[in-house]
Amino acid sequence: MSAAARRRLTGWALNALTYAVLLAMLAPVFWLLVSATQTQGRLANGTLDLLSPTFDAFSQMWQTIDFERYLANSIIICTGAAAFATAFASSAGYALARYRFRGSRAYGLTVIGTQLIPGSLFLLPVFLGFVWLGQNTPIRLLDTHVGMILVYTAFFTPLAIYFMRAFFQAIPRELEEAAMVDGSTRFGAFLRVVLPNAVPGLLATFVYAFLFAWDELMFATALTEQDAETIPIGIRNFIGNYNEETDQLMAAGVVSTIPVLIAFFATQRWLVRGITGGAVKG
Amino acid sequence: MIAPALAFMVLVHLVPTAAGSFLSFLDLNTFTFQQLFGAPWTGFGNYDSILFDSSNPLHSGFTTAAGNTAFYTAWTVGGTLVFGLGIALLLNRRFPGQRIVRTLMLTPWVVPSFVVATLWQFMWQRDAGIINKVLVDYTGIVDERPTWLLGENSMWAIIVPSIWRGIPFAMLIFLAGLQAIPRELHEAAAIDGAGPWKRFRHITLPLLRPLIAIQLLFGVIYSAYQFTIPYIMLGTNPGPSADLLMTLVLRQSFSNNLFGYGAAVSTLLMLAMLVWVAIWYRAFRRDFAEAT
Repeated sequence: MSAAARRRLTGWALNALTYAVLLAMLAPVFWLLVSATQTQGRLANGTLDLLSPTFDAFSQMWQTIDFERYLANSIIICTGAAAFATAFASSAGYALARYRFRGSRAYGLTVIGTQLIPGSLFLLPVFLGFVWLGQNTPIRLLDTHVGMILVYTAFFTPLAIYFMRAFFQAIPRELEEAAMVDGSTRFGAFLRVVLPNAVPGLLATFVYAFLFAWDELMFATALTEQDAETIPIGIRNFIGNYNEETDQLMAAGVVSTIPVLIAFFATQRWLVRGITGGAVKG
Repeated sequence: MIAPALAFMVLVHLVPTAAGSFLSFLDLNTFTFQQLFGAPWTGFGNYDSILFDSSNPLHSGFTTAAGNTAFYTAWTVGGTLVFGLGIALLLNRRFPGQRIVRTLMLTPWVVPSFVVATLWQFMWQRDAGIINKVLVDYTGIVDERPTWLLGENSMWAIIVPSIWRGIPFAMLIFLAGLQAIPRELHEAAAIDGAGPWKRFRHITLPLLRPLIAIQLLFGVIYSAYQFTIPYIMLGTNPGPSADLLMTLVLRQSFSNNLFGYGAAVSTLLMLAMLVWVAIWYRAFRRDFAEAT
């Protein structure tokens, strides 16, 4: 066999391997969709009928558990937390990207340091603090939207800062300098020139924080009881109490994935740039 | 401009962390719970029973969970990086449908962990699960139906989905790194007669070293703090084969009201991570010398 023919053959083999790997990676997602669209009976005895999907599970799941409440809570809490985290991160990230001030390196290290703290270590005092506030003051944080937004905002702000910093660094300094020459203040330049250019970054940071908040379970387990329970808690309750309704459980899984899937693929371009930009540059 | 974020971080990270370490010195349990932070001081009592009191069931619970966490972390991080790099190498070639394949490959990372855990719990089931169906009924690779969600296998039941969900992220970062490697390097080495393996070993791998380092650093921390996947799949008590430190802390604190014990275990875990960061820093310091 000639060298060229052999090279073409390995090329095809590697292409085939690539597609096979993609199929293997997507197989569990495919299985999620399949099991959500089969009846419970078919799932139990294994006689699947892929050609006649049913969407009954998607209508029944809302009756089996109060999924509407979980969904509403998740949307309120995650949107609130992601918005606050992005707002904090845009000002802090900008400062880190533009100025070398005393302690800026220490500040950067603090941001990384926050990732070192196990969630459980500050979960316990936060829980006890919320209980204490409830007993001794009229401030209600345990099992409330405000309490959860507060905790999640703090939780995801450090990551958001790193994200925003990478985006601000990509915006040329000359833009603000030009605005300041034209008589704008530094803050005015930030507001009118830098922020509009950073919209993709803001959006990506928001979605990134939202994705993480949507997936948070540990704090939600400890800090909610009823009023502020989010989707992961709902899924956990579902598994605990209606384990035999697999089709509905899978349907609930699909429904809880759709919002983040849409958010991710809508902002994918910028999100990927934020993740890789931060990592590749260090 | 950093004031709002800084104030917030101090308030919600540093203060509770200090308070958490403080709690680990208190005898805070069901009987003293009403006193909250005023519970009796016990000094190193919690640490003593965790680390040295071999007659205390909390001691064996801790050592088991610590061993499991190390095992889980090593396999999850190792598997994620190896497969992530492998797939990134595959996707770095030119092939039909490159863009769409790269995008679709990210899907597992977008599925929330709690859905991943729910889905895999169903897939691992002994009788109705698709994995046993494939292994036993369809292909006959295995004769006996393995039980995945109980006993020894349950550790693998949480490791495999963790790797599956982690791969896209690692792949994304490696792919960006691979694209930044100048083509000329490989071409020059090929002219000098270096085969694909030699080029990978002496060009690609050294240039990806900083990216491997960063992912090791955060991958280990993230995996050691994993909670969602074991908790959803195996419940509040995953059993001695798959109990991780996080599930242990949450169970002992919130089901058994042993808050002082939970805080002490969390503090030990944080110290372990500080040691890991120190080791990491010694190993990879030179890779970041020019960056900082």
